[in-house]
Amino acid sequence: MTRSVRLAARQALLEQRSFWRSAEYALFTFAFPLMILLLIGAANVGSYLPGTHVKNTTVFVPSILAFGIIVAAYVNLGSKVAVLRHDGVLKRIKTTPLPSAAYLGGLLASTVATVVLITACTGLIGWLAFGAGPRPGGLPALSIGLILGIVCFATLGLAISSVITSAESAGPVAYASFLPIAIISGVFDPTFSGLPQWLDRLVTAFPVKALAQVMQGAYTVRPFPAWDLANLALWTALGVGFVAWRFRWHT
Amino acid sequence: MTDTRVIDEWIAPVTDGFAVQVRGLRMSYGSTEVLRGVDFDVRYGEVFCLLGPNGAGKTTTLEILEGFRPATGGTVRVLGLNPATQASRLRERAGMVLQECGFPRQARVAELIDMWRSYYPNPRPLGELLAVVELAEVRNTQVRKLSGGQRRRLDFALALAGDPDLVFLDEPTTGFDPEARRRCWAAIENLRRLGTTIMLTTHYLDEAECLADRIAILRAGQIELVGTTRQVAALAGLATRISFTTPAALRRGQVALPDGFGLTVRGPVSVCHTDNAAVTLRRLLDWAVQNRLGDLDGLAVAAPSLEDTYLQLTGPDPEIT
Repeated sequence: MTRSVRLAARQALLEQRSFWRSAEYALFTFAFPLMILLLIGAANVGSYLPGTHVKNTTVFVPSILAFGIIVAAYVNLGSKVAVLRHDGVLKRIKTTPLPSAAYLGGLLASTVATVVLITACTGLIGWLAFGAGPRPGGLPALSIGLILGIVCFATLGLAISSVITSAESAGPVAYASFLPIAIISGVFDPTFSGLPQWLDRLVTAFPVKALAQVMQGAYTVRPFPAWDLANLALWTALGVGFVAWRFRWHT
Repeated sequence: MTDTRVIDEWIAPVTDGFAVQVRGLRMSYGSTEVLRGVDFDVRYGEVFCLLGPNGAGKTTTLEILEGFRPATGGTVRVLGLNPATQASRLRERAGMVLQECGFPRQARVAELIDMWRSYYPNPRPLGELLAVVELAEVRNTQVRKLSGGQRRRLDFALALAGDPDLVFLDEPTTGFDPEARRRCWAAIENLRRLGTTIMLTTHYLDEAECLADRIAILRAGQIELVGTTRQVAALAGLATRISFTTPAALRRGQVALPDGFGLTVRGPVSVCHTDNAAVTLRRLLDWAVQNRLGDLDGLAVAAPSLEDTYLQLTGPDPEIT
């Protein structure tokens, strides 16, 4: 057991080194959420949510926290595993005595490191640029959102990796399967509204809005997000089931 | 023979001296029968080559031995283990080079080998691995910048990282230019010197002839022949080939062909095959003297080659029939 943990930690270090070595990949992973944060955040400075005293940025910054988690856990991990499978790296791992759990554990640990870093950057810049920080007593909500967000979207990332059929399409498929949902979930626009009722219900069923709302609960007082947490747990369960059913070590 | 047995017992007494034992191996995909009762043994310390045309079942055989596929029937023992049920124990002691397995794109050569070493209980030293596969100069290069031949040698290094008793190589040089092939062969030769048992598949004759101690020819899911290169040729019942430059008089039809030993004229070269080279050669030279053809320029006597054997087994060959 301890050996597996040690091997997983080593794997995670190698993954992190490789991640930072491909500069454009690392930069894009970080630059995308941060750019959106700064550009759209600037457009919302001084505005308040209709009929409230809540600043737009107080809702927008935690939404981008959720966005960053999803990019690092779902898009990055999902496309990475698809590429590793397509390149035969996963199959090569299977020729060694390394336990599968230690290898996947290493990939997940590296993902956690990236997510934590991206969340810290987004939170810090949101606070410095727009004065939007977590409310007093908001840290538990932030931690729960972070943990559940990573677990849920990393699982869904592994799930989507099994659907991707080529290394070339890995990035596009991962992004295309989540960006439209992020847009109609209002992640990029705190005052987003006016969806037809059926579409609004549909989008609420997806985990993107749920995670955004959990994170918003750390910045502004909201009712306890029982439905959102249940939503994330349900999607995690669906993801685990799908991974167990479809995950393959080679094409 | 006695010596071999002593060494075998010293390395691994549990397996009665065989690194790999295959008996009656069968494999079907749906209704297609890929392997139809395959038998062979691989001895400790030898380079054993499974030779055959594409689609003969070489990779399938190897994947069963490596524990990647359960067989439909038959018995398989690798290092005394059953690969279907003891795959994880097997992987600590056997290195595997599969066809077309990629690397993590951004990893560096030495870093990756070191990572692989950490997977095994008793890894081989990094410097030694780099030396065996001749990659010491590119140890800090990112894997994606390596040439095809270098990548294949990195494959070898990773397969050797755990200091395995047995290494499987699936078509190690397919698609390489001659220079890259030579360097791969050199790496395999280095492996052999370390005492590692090697089982490789190939559809290149020269590769089998150059590297293998023993060869099994696999064709359409069955072993046609097993033995050393010479034994395989002899078992195939092939004749010695005698050839010489066709004399001008014979080409112009001024001299009649000798009777009785099937000499055929193919433009500039005349060829015949015989089971008794000495007798045939004497008669041939007598015939040459009688017809004032001199000493027969370019006279050559060749033992049956692996290529002759292989071509005869895997397809019709007009030169022999």
